[in-house]
Amino acid sequence: MNGLYTAIRAELFVALRSFSSKLVVIAPATITLLQYLLTKLAETGQAARDNLLGNSSFDAALADSAYGYFVDGVKTGLTILGLLLVAQAAYSFSYERDLGTLRHLFIRRASRPSVVLAKLVNLHVQALLSICLLLSLCWFVAGMLWEYGPVVEDGFELISAAEIRTEIGAGLTLALLPLPAAIAFGLLVSVSAQSATQAVTTALGLTLAMDILKAMLGDFSSYLYASFQPSLLDQSYLQDVSRLVRGYSDVLIDERVQTLNLWVPIPTMLLLLAMTLIIVRWKKV
Amino acid sequence: MHSNQSNPALAVTGLHKKYGDIPVLSNLELSISRGAIHGLVGLNGSGKTTTIECILGLQRFQSGTVSVMGHAPADLHRAKGKVVAIFDTPSLHPNLTVRQNLQLARSLCPTPVRTAQDVEKMLGVSRYSNYKVRQLSLGNKRRTSIAQALLGNPELIVLDEPFNGLDAEGVDDVLRLIQQFNQDHNTSFFLCSHQLPYLEQICSHIAILHKGTIAVSGTIADLLGASRNVALLSTAQLQQAEDLLRTMPDVQVAGVDPDGFLRIQLGNMTSAALNQALVSRQIGVTELHLQRASLAGLFRQISNEVRT
Repeated sequence: MNGLYTAIRAELFVALRSFSSKLVVIAPATITLLQYLLTKLAETGQAARDNLLGNSSFDAALADSAYGYFVDGVKTGLTILGLLLVAQAAYSFSYERDLGTLRHLFIRRASRPSVVLAKLVNLHVQALLSICLLLSLCWFVAGMLWEYGPVVEDGFELISAAEIRTEIGAGLTLALLPLPAAIAFGLLVSVSAQSATQAVTTALGLTLAMDILKAMLGDFSSYLYASFQPSLLDQSYLQDVSRLVRGYSDVLIDERVQTLNLWVPIPTMLLLLAMTLIIVRWKKV
Repeated sequence: MHSNQSNPALAVTGLHKKYGDIPVLSNLELSISRGAIHGLVGLNGSGKTTTIECILGLQRFQSGTVSVMGHAPADLHRAKGKVVAIFDTPSLHPNLTVRQNLQLARSLCPTPVRTAQDVEKMLGVSRYSNYKVRQLSLGNKRRTSIAQALLGNPELIVLDEPFNGLDAEGVDDVLRLIQQFNQDHNTSFFLCSHQLPYLEQICSHIAILHKGTIAVSGTIADLLGASRNVALLSTAQLQQAEDLLRTMPDVQVAGVDPDGFLRIQLGNMTSAALNQALVSRQIGVTELHLQRASLAGLFRQISNEVRT
């Protein structure tokens, strides 16, 4: 336990002073901010043109709720965060092995499993900070550029603000659950790879491959943690939430998929972690 | 210098290590007494770094037992800082400063007795304390790496090629620190290096590793004593000289060097007497000189013997 505590302290000491950790925390929020500004700019231009031409559309009327933009921003941020975390996790162990700094830790204070667990904790701390920053920024900026409120059509409230927030809460929970599995996947690759370069390219390559293949797996894709993670080819529940909070009533929610979303990622994470802990015991450092 | 044979700092018995089907270490036996400065030398690819990595639990081995300060290699973290190692590559975080690297190392030391500033002074890197490690020369990286090991008072320090990249002043500092720690704290050292004159200067014991086994091991005095009074003879009548020398009771022919010199172990005979004996039998001596006993000479001799 003392070794694990020492390893966590060492991890945090380096993370506080490293660029890549700061990137993981800041990049998703920064890119989302950029997305908001560009969206607002495009919308303002479109609105000016519509005013000049005297046009108005149903979509434009619905899109005005800040909740929709909030969800879009969170989805973008989590997509980037997912990729960054996989890359960072893949880099973390293998890079320090390349440097030789891991050897000092193993010889002086911490067992190999302790070091892996310390990295897992550190990556979760980075993920948590990044998510907090992302959610705060999305909430604040979306509220500043648009207006939070219920979905109203012809003066009739289709979905109340409280219902929207509940839906967003559920969507967020389901979208965040796969992140620990993504981190554990990155760590597994990191421990197994021969070098940091190999680890990062392999982890990102396999993540993107999973993204592409999940569409072809049909029902089986629901047993893959990556299916529930916001990604470039997004099948996550957050994708549905984005439409729900805009008042689209044609969203079909598959209860079975939602249940698997709740139950697949964490056991997957534990399985990947167990594999990592086994491999790290016999791997040359 | 103290020693404690019953409870050695490092004990290796019957160590076997293979990479795939290729044997790297075969039945390696090694024992380092507490308080000893033990050197390990060997040709490139002889298995020195593999030996160190097996001892420190950084890679697995097929069979054998290793005890480092009473701990198995895989449990070395339980030694709680009694064992530290300095590797052939500096093993530092390149984006942290020298001071930050030392602070990090200090946080890993259960009982630090020196501050980062103290060890910076000891190794002469104080003026680089705010430099990022990636900005340093190899020599200063090496100094910082060695400084990391001196934050506590470890009982065993393992050093793999500690002199690589160091200038003369750096080498002197390291040699002085090794001797100082050995005398003041009875710290045991296990050094692996190609710099044989430096090892000869500080080591109490030497082991020569050849093709995965310890070819020779012992105190420097014993090993060099055995190779003292070696004469190298060059003559056109090599066979006649060899025949004559084999009949003489006080000399021993150790073989022919690759460059044609007859290597002769003189015993109590002087080189002048040898010369006289050869000339009196009409054997022309082209060249005859005594070889000063040195670790480098011994190493070359043993490497050649094992090769042939």
